[in-house]
Amino acid sequence: MSWSAESSDEELMLLYRDGEAAAFDALYARHKGGLYRYLLRQCRDAAAAEELFQDVWTSLIRARAGYTVQAKFTTYLYRLAHNRLIDHYRKYSHVAMVSFDSEEGEAITELPDARERPADDALDARRQAGRLLELIAELPEVQREAFLLQQEGGMSVEEIAYATGVTRETAKSRLRYAMNRLRHGMREWR
Amino acid sequence: MALNEINQGGGPGDAERDPGLDRLYRATGREEPPAHLDAAILAAARREVGARPRPLSSTVHRWRVPVSIAAVVVLSVSLVALVREEGGDQLMQVPPPASVEPPDARPAPAAPTASEMKQSRPPAAVPAPPRRAPREDARDAPVALGKMTDGFASGAAGPTASQGAGEVSAPDAAVRSQPRAFQDVPSPAERRAAAAEASPSTEDSTARAPAVAERRAAPPASAPATEAAGARSTMQARKEAAPGDDRLPVWHGYEKEPPQKWLDRIA
Repeated sequence: MSWSAESSDEELMLLYRDGEAAAFDALYARHKGGLYRYLLRQCRDAAAAEELFQDVWTSLIRARAGYTVQAKFTTYLYRLAHNRLIDHYRKYSHVAMVSFDSEEGEAITELPDARERPADDALDARRQAGRLLELIAELPEVQREAFLLQQEGGMSVEEIAYATGVTRETAKSRLRYAMNRLRHGMREWR
Repeated sequence: MALNEINQGGGPGDAERDPGLDRLYRATGREEPPAHLDAAILAAARREVGARPRPLSSTVHRWRVPVSIAAVVVLSVSLVALVREEGGDQLMQVPPPASVEPPDARPAPAAPTASEMKQSRPPAAVPAPPRRAPREDARDAPVALGKMTDGFASGAAGPTASQGAGEVSAPDAAVRSQPRAFQDVPSPAERRAAAAEASPSTEDSTARAPAVAERRAAPPASAPATEAAGARSTMQARKEAAPGDDRLPVWHGYEKEPPQKWLDRIA
């Protein structure tokens, strides 16, 4: 069976299941960046992120024989990443973090005082972006994960709920709180 | 970038998407995994495919449903064809329904069939029960025959002596008023057969006419009362016979008597 650039993620995965190695190459190229950044933003450590990144793809490769289309491929992929991330957090419990079951969850560190920022410094896009990344890093894990799944995975609230194993309302609440905190943090950045 | 851009594209309560945040986030670093990580993962993927070629189970799994459907269709068609063939064979083996009909179910026009039976049957033979006649008539037939035979055997030749000339016509009228059993006209073949048997008496038959006239003119000879009674009993038996009962021919019993007595009886 031939495939093209317009082939869906599910088709490529099915082809790879049936032995098409090139189909996996195309699939990997599409999603490697988003998955890496998703893990990187949450681990805050490149080494840990790379380890988790490789584990996720290895799990996908080993499960190819039994793959069936039950959901979007991105949902399936980020569900693997979520589970691997949970294992990582449990392994490295010395990292202070809020329980993953808490929707609202307080940030680990408080937001920096906006008055400490030089008022005359022009905030270019890159610095705002940097600031956003900081704010993201300071979000509770569950809220951060929901926001990153939306941004990196392009997932809807329902897909976020499926990937993280929660209800739609829980996923929606987490995402709403995350965005409110980010908006608030960026609003104060003046 | 102004902060107001953050608030554009959605209300505060719209948690599903915020274009400002989206734009800001896209401006952040687009980190990518290192090259060596890409190589390692791609190599592992190819090894997986090379080490375990396309699993047969997946092929079998894909074709499981179509093969099952095809098998069911083939079996169904074969079964239908087999049932049809057996049904046709059974129909071919069913005997004609005409030979197993009960007597009561036979059609009404039995008279021609009975006459055909008469033609094939010798006149003296006891006829088989007609198809439409009930079995009681078959049982009664020997009795009637017996009565008739007794009547004729006793030599009953005609009216008794007590009967005068005036009464000669009575039997005649009685004969005319007899039920159909006595008035059934035998077929020509039957008549010829009866005539052939009565051929020795042909001479008597020619002399019958004057004898009849003499009889009518003269009082009847004294005949034993039993003869008349026997004749009457015979006639009565025939009267009691079922209408259309043609088991007993009209001339039954007459063959034992000379024609003279026939005429006397008729008179």
